[in-house]
Amino acid sequence: MAKVSIVVVCGSGVAMAMHAAYKLREYLDKEKIYDVHIDGSGNNELPSRIAAYDIVVSNAQVTVETDKPVFSAIPLITGVGEEELVKEIVAKVKEIREAKNHQ
Amino acid sequence: MNVKKQSIEFTIDEKFILVNESISSKEEIITKLGDLLFHNGFVKDTYTKAVLDRENVYPTGLKARVTGVAVPHTDTIHVIKPAVAIATLREPVVFHGMGAPDTDVEVSIVLMLAIHDPQEVVNVLRKIIFVIEDDAALQKILAASDKAEIKNTLKEHIDALTAKLGK
Repeated sequence: MAKVSIVVVCGSGVAMAMHAAYKLREYLDKEKIYDVHIDGSGNNELPSRIAAYDIVVSNAQVTVETDKPVFSAIPLITGVGEEELVKEIVAKVKEIREAKNHQ
Repeated sequence: MNVKKQSIEFTIDEKFILVNESISSKEEIITKLGDLLFHNGFVKDTYTKAVLDRENVYPTGLKARVTGVAVPHTDTIHVIKPAVAIATLREPVVFHGMGAPDTDVEVSIVLMLAIHDPQEVVNVLRKIIFVIEDDAALQKILAASDKAEIKNTLKEHIDALTAKLGK
């Protein structure tokens, strides 16, 4: 079964994206979604790395042109709007997983 | 489990806590906190300018429920030992929004992070970042009238999370 992969992007990749990625992993575990690969990336490296991922979650402004779904990581840091964001990401993960399994 | 990694201390010290500072710009408070970290040997002399430069490209203002919080930081090469410098502001100053550089955030609490290797300090670093969504802890930090109170509030928050999450 193909894994869904998410890249969590931060300005310099030092701290905030790592925190957001950990939290996202915890939420996905709670939903019993274990087949998701999560990486961190600095915003500068994103253009060369984005092709490898299904979903982008970023706390920097995403300037690279992409048709992939892009979510803001900010709710995972402030807690404001966090549940809504996680619901949307979980729905998207399930949708992509479904599509991959039917390929 | 890597024992060496666990020996790295993340410093929260009254030497780099400022309470109810009267300042007029984000540059001023970043410079003040950066100077304190530098004079105590936690960062290199390049750190403050690197934080200021990064703040212009990747701003760090966050609208938490309680108040605006900024988390200025920069690349690991400018840091010697991991620490967090903290300031509460008498009057808020404007930072731009993280992920939204065209928005303004009125910031009353600044958590300036000095991180030399995020993986080595991940357990403490995450708990510090968690304070942004901890309404009670942020209220206490905001209302604190001395450095010890801010330090103790942050440490209590970290201890409470440690008890809850482990590690």
